[in-house]
Amino acid sequence: MSTQVEKHPLPYWNPYVAGIGLGLVLLASFVVMGRGLGASGAFSSLVTVGVQAVAPNHVANNEFYAEYIGDGTKSPLKDWLVFEVLGVFVGGFISGSLAHRVTKVVEKGPNISTRGRLLMAFAGGGLMGIGAKLARGCTSGQALTGGALFNVGSWAFMMMVFGGAYAMAYFVRRQWQ
Amino acid sequence: MKNFFADLSMNKKLGLFAFVLGFLALFAGSPYHGSEATVNAKELALIVEKEVDHVSVQTLADWIIQGKSDFRLIDLRSEKDFAEYHVPFAENILLSGLDQSNLQHNEKIILYSDGGIHSAQAWMLLEAKGFKGVYILRGGLEEWKDQILFPRIPENPTPAQVVEFAKTKEVSKFFGGTPQSGATLEAATPKLSMPKLDAPAGAQSKAPPAKKKKEGC
Amino acid sequence: MIAPFFKYGLFGEDISLVVAFITGIGFGFFLERAGFNSAKKLAAQFYFTDLTVFKVMFTAIITAMVGLYYLSVIGFLDLSLVYLTPTFLLPQVVGGLILGFGFVIGGYCPGTSCVAVSTGRIDGMVYLGGIIFGILVFGEVFPLVSNFYVSTSMGQITLPQITGLPYGLLVFLVVLMALGGFVGAEWIEKKMASKKAGASL
Repeated sequence: MSTQVEKHPLPYWNPYVAGIGLGLVLLASFVVMGRGLGASGAFSSLVTVGVQAVAPNHVANNEFYAEYIGDGTKSPLKDWLVFEVLGVFVGGFISGSLAHRVTKVVEKGPNISTRGRLLMAFAGGGLMGIGAKLARGCTSGQALTGGALFNVGSWAFMMMVFGGAYAMAYFVRRQWQ
Repeated sequence: MKNFFADLSMNKKLGLFAFVLGFLALFAGSPYHGSEATVNAKELALIVEKEVDHVSVQTLADWIIQGKSDFRLIDLRSEKDFAEYHVPFAENILLSGLDQSNLQHNEKIILYSDGGIHSAQAWMLLEAKGFKGVYILRGGLEEWKDQILFPRIPENPTPAQVVEFAKTKEVSKFFGGTPQSGATLEAATPKLSMPKLDAPAGAQSKAPPAKKKKEGC
Repeated sequence: MIAPFFKYGLFGEDISLVVAFITGIGFGFFLERAGFNSAKKLAAQFYFTDLTVFKVMFTAIITAMVGLYYLSVIGFLDLSLVYLTPTFLLPQVVGGLILGFGFVIGGYCPGTSCVAVSTGRIDGMVYLGGIIFGILVFGEVFPLVSNFYVSTSMGQITLPQITGLPYGLLVFLVVLMALGGFVGAEWIEKKMASKKAGASL
């Protein structure tokens, strides 16, 4: 009989302590780089590179992609946000590994199927991509960074995110509860 | 009283700490220090003595011919003077506009004015604001005209001087200037017209000075 | 003033990419510590059962905000050199609304989805695919929305500037608001927990 010691996932940290940690990382970014964090921008660079590989002329004529191409002297992937996001993957993995929280799983409530959940995840991601581009950022770049800087647009954005999410929550409650 | 603090939970301690910091913010003043500048007199004096902050007109001419674009050339004179003639690829920023300009601390900046006074004063201002890569064009535009645009060769040149002047002539022609030989020394400056402001033939165009660095999210 | 270090020329662009990577590691680490690799935990915010999102987000905001303020006041940091994204009010309001929908439908935001992916969440991977698709769609229809995209531009503007109130006062008010929110959040969570316990009796 083989005995396997099941490593139970450790509980999450005190949210205020985690928040302080996050805030200090953000502060460090301000002090060292003179800029805040971000996430959605890295994916825009990725999409731009992908589209460029398939249809370079289309990219050159499209104002949105052109912004990520810059003057063409370097790859859009050699970008601060891209490297930062790579770090996010690694940091998440490190924290998760240390706390035995790395497991292949689909997060969902008890009243929805896996397929349903994955469809919703894709749809949610799609909406998120569009919203983030319209707003020039997501919760990391606009809410956290802009929030700390008293950026007017960021605060307006933040309130709308909470408002929109609460408003939509009723309609998708079956997914989570 | 000491027990009061000891008995507080971690969260309450953090909350109290945050409140105190927030409360003190009411009295701490403005975070913007705008146009203030600090001067380390000794450090500045040493830099001035070592003269490492000078760039000769010949060096600048060479850089432009080679198409180097890792610096910003700033013309401190009036808009009218700038429009009449300026060194190729120079940008016009007045002394009063330096503080609000888009000059970055990590750029290489070369300043020039007619002679050396305003550029030296501007250099001091920028150094006081923490810029570290600021240079002065030694001799200013006067030297540029004298050595680059309208270079002269002495009446009875040595062979070495002739050889050297050949190169100087090429540089001068590149910038649209008029090299002089000894004979025309007297009838020099007033008759000479300043070169037109088209980019010198063969010079690579510099990348736009304010390269927009993407810093969004 | 010697900070921001990068803007004072302490290091160049190549090192800045290394800085980016390290910063990202810290970012991802604390996101996971907070539990944001789990869509269930993130979504619970919007059903009032688990308000970690609010607590973490606002703690982070006031930590950075207060730090920024004091480092600037003492003259260590040049606040005017810290990049402020320009405000385009209407697109940001609409974008925020759409993002909010995406948040509760999908269960993640871009940053947290990365952390979810690297801890094995399959729905996180699908979500990330969705983001890429959404950006692609946006890029393709961009010519149609470009006018809206640049409308209501207000430039780089802060709350102190638009209200005319002193910066320090706003710091105090935001800290106060956050602390009040935390007290409220704790109360709501307790209420919801006892309601759930009562219902299952």
